[in-house]
Amino acid sequence: MKKILFLIYLFFIAVAINAQDNSFLIYSVKGNVSVVENKIESKAKIGKIITGNTSLKLADGSVATLICNEAAMFTIKKAGSYTLSQFKDSCETHSSSVSANYVKYVWNQMTAGHEGSPGSNRKAFMSTVGAVSRSVNNIWIDPRLDTINYSNGDFPLSWKSYADAKDFEFSLYTSPDGGTPLYKNTLSKMKISIPSFASRLKPGNTYYWTSAVKGETNDEIKVLNYVEKPVYEMVLNKLKAEGPAYESDAEQAYRTAFGLEDARYLSEAYQYYLRAATLKPDMPLYRSTLMSFKKDYEIK
Amino acid sequence: MHFFDPMKLALEDFDINDITYSKLKGPDKFDKRIVIINIGRADREGLAYIIEKTASMGPKVIGLDAYFEGLKDPYKDSLLRSAFEKTKNLVTISRIEWDHHGEGRFIKDYYDSAHSLTGYGNITGEEGGTIRNFSPYEKIDDSIHYSFAAMLVKQYSTEAFKKLKKRHDHNEIINYTRRNNQYLSFTGEQLLNNDVDDSALKGKIVLLGYLGEDENDIEDKVFTPTNEKFAGKSRPDMNGIVVHANIISMILDHNYIKKLPSWVNIVVAILIGWLHMSFFIRYYLENHIWFHLVAKFAQLLSAIFFVYIGIFLFDKFNMKLDMTLTLVVIILAVDIIYFYEAFAVWMHKKFGYTTVFHQQHH
Repeated sequence: MKKILFLIYLFFIAVAINAQDNSFLIYSVKGNVSVVENKIESKAKIGKIITGNTSLKLADGSVATLICNEAAMFTIKKAGSYTLSQFKDSCETHSSSVSANYVKYVWNQMTAGHEGSPGSNRKAFMSTVGAVSRSVNNIWIDPRLDTINYSNGDFPLSWKSYADAKDFEFSLYTSPDGGTPLYKNTLSKMKISIPSFASRLKPGNTYYWTSAVKGETNDEIKVLNYVEKPVYEMVLNKLKAEGPAYESDAEQAYRTAFGLEDARYLSEAYQYYLRAATLKPDMPLYRSTLMSFKKDYEIK
Repeated sequence: MHFFDPMKLALEDFDINDITYSKLKGPDKFDKRIVIINIGRADREGLAYIIEKTASMGPKVIGLDAYFEGLKDPYKDSLLRSAFEKTKNLVTISRIEWDHHGEGRFIKDYYDSAHSLTGYGNITGEEGGTIRNFSPYEKIDDSIHYSFAAMLVKQYSTEAFKKLKKRHDHNEIINYTRRNNQYLSFTGEQLLNNDVDDSALKGKIVLLGYLGEDENDIEDKVFTPTNEKFAGKSRPDMNGIVVHANIISMILDHNYIKKLPSWVNIVVAILIGWLHMSFFIRYYLENHIWFHLVAKFAQLLSAIFFVYIGIFLFDKFNMKLDMTLTLVVIILAVDIIYFYEAFAVWMHKKFGYTTVFHQQHH
């Protein structure tokens, strides 16, 4: 009986050891990242060591890189709240032995495609262009549209053309390197409404867009973050809560719009500018700001 | 002899064991004993603030990998001087200049009087060549001067420092075990903005040095055996401060490379050469139809095998056996048989020299 009890005891010790938390070191932080430990939220700081029970909160556009058990490095790029225990898989390291790597290396060296040399096969080696690129780009996209966060509402992505062109091609990609567009449309107007292609987007993902005169290319890529509703609501509630104690609805709407515009939520900012101007139509500041905003972003 | 320069460039800076670092062996675990702060382009005032803030977070020792020459701005100079005077656990950089007679001159910097701990930053390697070695200490004018890394270790771990001294090796091979991201690093700006946890520097070795503005910035970068491209033209791959960090990690872990004496390399080359020759000559004499094919195949296989032996010893036992001479012997073995055959036949005809080759000239 004693032996059985001893074995059970050993089993529980082994389970307890196995279940021990991984330790995570905050290696780098970009943007607004916070740590929730024992229900206390604090700013995530570089060099802090946290355990699997801790949560990490990332605001939109924020990035955090962690090192697990002093060995495995991984990066969280997507906004949201995460319990670190869910990254258990990222703590695993896979390193093969030097001997195995050597065999692979020798094999790769022997089997790699032989393209010859620049002297014998010029076509395979003519990839270097000895000049700087100064291509003519007929499209100008407002730098304020470089990165925008979008959750809801009608908002256009717009551009201007230096060429007397009739048609423009709008392309939406899932990668900053381009590739096959997720969505492509030929337009006669120099803008496209986000809701017209929003059904193809998945909340929480980042998309890349550009526009060009039809038949031409434009290397300038802009970023569109399709933000999940809870994330946007968190930003919105935070902005609303930051106001003074005595604030009218119009004042709150105007202040919120300003904050949203600053946070690159342009579509949502427009709704609040509109609301402020509607709630207090006799306020010239609200009206003029709304007019300027509409003009800047081609909202008709 | 400049005619041979291209060969020298191609081969002299090449070491078979570099393949281990650059292609075969992954980096070691993250070293939590060392933290690197990127000083970027901070001026003397900025550096003073970074040093004071670092010191306030309780590191065991701070190393500043920056050298100051002469006056610049009285206000900023005095701030830095004050930071140096206040920070008793700060190790600064000095230099050693050797003349062509081998006489050394130890040169401290402008703030010489403001600090007492200094170590020379010289690392050993040809200009533009791969950095493989460092000298832990040098005796100049009857005084012992320690390198930057050795001086930092002296303040951090007496035991590790004693072991280093006991080795009496003026030309230690650097065992590169970590790259930039195996050390916690951040910018001085992040430190001053309170973006760094209070416990991050406590009791650690903190190195203040230049880590560049982006990966294309090659200022203060050197070539190391960890370079992805271990032969031919490439870009420097590691910042000087990370080289120092690797040296410190090696000393703290007692993870030194054992150098085998050159006579061992020669004996190994002779033995392997003898084995190859006996095998090749046997095949050659039997006038084997497959001789050329078998010989080339055997050369290739044995080159791969003996390089592996060198790599295995290096990886498992930190033992550096230079297989370059052995490889040369393997590669030249067949040609030497051809030459020897012609020579022996000529000797036989001329002087009646007895040789196994005289009956049939291939």
